[in-house]
Amino acid sequence: MVYVWTGLTQAIGLKYYGVPGIDVPPNTGFQYKEPPPEKSFMRPDEYDPLIENPTGYLFNIWLPRVSAEVSPIGEPTSYRNNLSFLKGGMAMMKYFTAFGTQNALLRSESGTVSAISGILKAPFDILADKLRGYIGLTMDLFERPDKVLAACEALMPHLTHIALSGADPDKNVPVGFWMHRGCVPFISHEHFNKFYWPTLKPIIQQIWAHGHQVLFYAEGDWNAHLRSFAELPDQAIVYHVDKADIFEAHRTIGNKFCISGGIPNVLLGFGTPDEVRDYCRKVIDGVAKDGGYIMDASAIIQNDAKVENIQAMTDFTREYGVY
Amino acid sequence: MVKKQKPKSKPGACIPWEQKLKEIPEISGDESILQNVWEDIDALGYMYIWQCLLSF
Repeated sequence: MVYVWTGLTQAIGLKYYGVPGIDVPPNTGFQYKEPPPEKSFMRPDEYDPLIENPTGYLFNIWLPRVSAEVSPIGEPTSYRNNLSFLKGGMAMMKYFTAFGTQNALLRSESGTVSAISGILKAPFDILADKLRGYIGLTMDLFERPDKVLAACEALMPHLTHIALSGADPDKNVPVGFWMHRGCVPFISHEHFNKFYWPTLKPIIQQIWAHGHQVLFYAEGDWNAHLRSFAELPDQAIVYHVDKADIFEAHRTIGNKFCISGGIPNVLLGFGTPDEVRDYCRKVIDGVAKDGGYIMDASAIIQNDAKVENIQAMTDFTREYGVY
Repeated sequence: MVKKQKPKSKPGACIPWEQKLKEIPEISGDESILQNVWEDIDALGYMYIWQCLLSF
């Protein structure tokens, strides 16, 4: 698994980042650590400064809280503070400029093309993930709902800008959109319809207006919201299924969007090659008969996946998944 | 009902050129060149903080 690089997170001293080999076991993927609600990175009375100037809020208030190196505004600066910006900036350049080389190696050494370019997260998920925390945000939905909505709206143009700035200029691969805790049962249908979807849908529409698809990486189970996603223009997204019923997803939105994923990670880790082949056959028969399906694991493949199972998934699809 | 506030920061910029321009006493050359150079590098600062939020 290649996913995020701790060179940058350690240069900045990100407190929420669980580094393999330090905070979590060395052979597992990194983990995000969420502070308790009373220590959230954004306080409940800080919606106004976030809404007024999101970029300024992130630099001046959020970054000093999430970083062990950055000094808060008004406090003395330090060697470690100054160094974190230099190292962090250089590390980020190193990280992003490596993508071209790595993509070329993937293509030449394993015949694998890159799947996404650029990044998007929903305004609601950003508030839950890195600012108020999930528990804090769910309280805010009842205690200060207008502020939550205004904050989501304030984030929209920035998240759109970042998504477009990283999108594939050749428009061969979609923008990656990581979906976290904005679905039922994390929040209610009412909250989804009031906060999550109205502040996400226009972003997707704008990205599509620029000619870029978005990969909905629907982590967990988002089938409760398929009819909302069906409001988007045909072909505007690729819909990736994790733990949800992929056949239901196909029945509901398969006529509009390409579907991907749906092969359980637990099967790839602990099943046999024959079981993997059987499952792949079931998915191909049920979802891919008319095209519009990309074979993939349900979630990002971890180190526990057996090589022979990945080989079985790949070989079977190349053999059986033809038209 | 909360009154909607007009956002201060525009996407892609930390310190907009219009703000920086006020700090420069006089421009003798082509302002558009100076603006392009300023905005090009300022955008990296913008990318830094938003990518920290989104990608890391």
